[in-house]
Amino acid sequence: MTILSAKLRQSTAAAVLALTATAVSGAALAKDLTITVWSGGTNETESYRIENIAIAADLLEREYALRGEELNIKVEGKYDFAGWAEFKQAVTLAAEAGTAPNIVVSSHLDLAPWSQAGLIVPIEDYVDLDAWPLNDIYENLIDITSYNGQVVGLPQDAESRPFFFWRETYKKIGYTDEQLDELPAKIQSGEYTLKNVFEDAKKAVDMEIVEKGYGFYPRPSNGPDYAQFYQSFGGTLMDKDSGKLVLDKKAMTEFYQFFVDCVNAGLTRKNHLGTDWNQWYNEVATGKAATWHGGTWHYARYTGKEGLSDFFGNIQFSLIPAGNAEGHANTITQPLAYMITKQNDEEAVEVAAQLVKIASEPRLNSYHAIKSSHLGISRQQSNVEFYANDRWAAEATERLLPFANAQPNHLKYGQFSELMYKGLETAWTGTKSAEDAVAEVEVEMKAALGDDLIVR
Amino acid sequence: MRRSHLLGLGFMTPAILLTLALFIIPVVLTGVFSFTNMSTSTGITGGAYEINPRSIRLMKDAGLREGLIGDLEENLYKIDAAGLAQVEKDFGKKLAEEMKGAYDGQTFKDRRELVRAIKDLKSRPRSSRDLNKAADLFQKSILNVRYDDESAFLNGLGNLGITLQDGEQAELTRFAYTGWVWTTENFSNMAAMPSTYRAAFNTVLYIAFTLTFNIVFGVFLAVATFYLPSAAASTFRTIWFLPRILPHVLYVILWKWFTWDTGFLSQVLEPFGVAPRNWMMDTEINAWVSIVLINGFVGASLGMILFSSAIKAIPSSMLYASEVDGASRLQQVRYIILPQLRWPIMFTSIYQTLSLLTSFDYIYLATDGGPGSSTTVWALYAFKTALNNYGGNLQYGFGAALALVLVGIGILASVLYLRLFDFKSMNAAPRIEQ
Repeated sequence: MTILSAKLRQSTAAAVLALTATAVSGAALAKDLTITVWSGGTNETESYRIENIAIAADLLEREYALRGEELNIKVEGKYDFAGWAEFKQAVTLAAEAGTAPNIVVSSHLDLAPWSQAGLIVPIEDYVDLDAWPLNDIYENLIDITSYNGQVVGLPQDAESRPFFFWRETYKKIGYTDEQLDELPAKIQSGEYTLKNVFEDAKKAVDMEIVEKGYGFYPRPSNGPDYAQFYQSFGGTLMDKDSGKLVLDKKAMTEFYQFFVDCVNAGLTRKNHLGTDWNQWYNEVATGKAATWHGGTWHYARYTGKEGLSDFFGNIQFSLIPAGNAEGHANTITQPLAYMITKQNDEEAVEVAAQLVKIASEPRLNSYHAIKSSHLGISRQQSNVEFYANDRWAAEATERLLPFANAQPNHLKYGQFSELMYKGLETAWTGTKSAEDAVAEVEVEMKAALGDDLIVR
Repeated sequence: MRRSHLLGLGFMTPAILLTLALFIIPVVLTGVFSFTNMSTSTGITGGAYEINPRSIRLMKDAGLREGLIGDLEENLYKIDAAGLAQVEKDFGKKLAEEMKGAYDGQTFKDRRELVRAIKDLKSRPRSSRDLNKAADLFQKSILNVRYDDESAFLNGLGNLGITLQDGEQAELTRFAYTGWVWTTENFSNMAAMPSTYRAAFNTVLYIAFTLTFNIVFGVFLAVATFYLPSAAASTFRTIWFLPRILPHVLYVILWKWFTWDTGFLSQVLEPFGVAPRNWMMDTEINAWVSIVLINGFVGASLGMILFSSAIKAIPSSMLYASEVDGASRLQQVRYIILPQLRWPIMFTSIYQTLSLLTSFDYIYLATDGGPGSSTTVWALYAFKTALNNYGGNLQYGFGAALALVLVGIGILASVLYLRLFDFKSMNAAPRIEQ
């Protein structure tokens, strides 16, 4: 009996040894890695957020092969989330459960809470910011993807959120083509303001050029776009010196009041918020609305799926006009960022970082920029013909980006923006007056944000 | 214990396990979560210790000693013997010697500057990760260093050579901790927020109207189909049962088609001079009517089935006798049927109050709590706070506190209902057996 068990033990040990040896030698010969990428707010037009990682994987495999190492990377991408809320919920809960994807593409606003929670790791630990292609990325974009003085993520794209005018409607209310061409400059200088937008949109509705509720046709859901209007009326999002978020009651009230006035004058529908996005895209791309606001990436949708053949002949675009004397024309850029999540396998983290680095090369990023009508992230993209010859990319970059600011990377900005939108919704739908809505927002912000808030 | 008892226990086990998994454990966890400030940024599984620009700002606001903050804020990289020894250990002697020769005693203002310097050396590490790691060995501050536990953090602090005064160590640890802490703030915040009161008021409205609709309409359907020929009765019952068996999303989409600006209702009313509008979202009243009807039809169908079977159980001789006495249909309903429905009405009321209290699926799909939070009920408010919002900073702690209130109200309501309907006497053994 003892002999038998001793033999058994020996043979088991031998088997284990043999298996380990095979595994170890196998690892030295070839390494298989599966890199998962989850991308938020992504549709088919933005597929290069994931495809570029796959292209990068191919390039990285070649680099490894040239060094005599075999690395097989399998990229698994996922972008069919119902919306931003569902995407962020999925990422957060997966990370808590220890099954986070390797690479996440999300708003730069998530850098603060996710890095505080340790869900993502600073990418600057794994890449050389002084080397190509990262040393060519615009510094202001790198600032936007930094938090606590560290470069946490890398900008995936740039965009901004312009105001749009349907040229034909404006011509019918008395504008000439020349005047329309000058409009963006007048908006930038503060000569044409939201007050003028209101008057012109009202004319269009009163003259029955557009239907009631289609004079001014805003974004139908929450988004950074609304912070632009707060800025138009003189609001500041964060106090730079103290790093605290700012509720400027006067600016907030006037911003809410503008939307309430639009509803009362029949320019905007009272139940506009929550309108189906597909319906919305179709309506603005077919001239059903006189004015609206959206994002630079809408160009791809208008000229693609919605079939608008002559964008520049039909639509004028500009910064969001100023609302009053304290505010200024502005636009917000909300770059998405590539982020690397914390994983037990350090090598997987490093490979993921390398893939993100390669995907940031000007040519690859231009594929994404052109297909999705986003703006480039690095200087050399203007030397990539494919990108430089695109009229939209060139004009939008020049007219909007120099004046674009980003929302602050602050742990509690998510709550701030939720409450700001909730207040807007309350005033917009007529549940409360603008003043009462702001009073409620103040109480809620004070409770939710505590010491991180300054009320002016 | 007798074996037959074991059998009983065996039969009960699945129920006990389910209650444990689906009620007891979630309630206990909700209770625990609700006394924490848990959120996306604190994480659920615990935090780390890190001094970073944000915590330094908070320390300044809290009035910690300036000298101490100054020391912590300084981020320096210095080439010294200890660092070189570590480099030798991790990256080999060559690099350590080369670094010593080139940079011994020098300081660098940040890691990037030092990495640039190391890159000039021949035996430098070839990967960016290793370069950064080598540079980190010379860091003379703990800024942005993430320590997994408190002792490692205190160790790091100790290595800096900063002398701490009384109580400062505890203060520093508190500010450096990134995870969640115990707090009762969720409840005081809840009391301070107007949206809490609105959600509470909305919930009361929602339950009162929907429940009344469920019961009244359910009884009506049961009685009406009782007096119909049986084939017609089954057809009607099946039709009224459809809302319950349809998938939720489909059912709500049908309602949306029915109520939208371009929907059925607007089209039908247009020839009568009623301007098309969104009958679900135009005003608060529209939204409320929609919500009550959407939920009500689903609830009424359950009531219908329960009440119908209860009516069927009434001995037909009683009804015949009443007819002989000349009772009208209304009198039959009032004096025979309704009194016998007391038990099923009680059951339906309890069951539906509790399920309405926590249900928000149809509201979420139909109005999403709008327009302007006017149909946001407590459960939806808790769901959005804890698990689903655009900003993505999920407030697990606050959401759990909201949910805990619901659990409390649910238990209280059950007790109240049991007393109100005199549950004991209904459960008593029949007098004939006493």
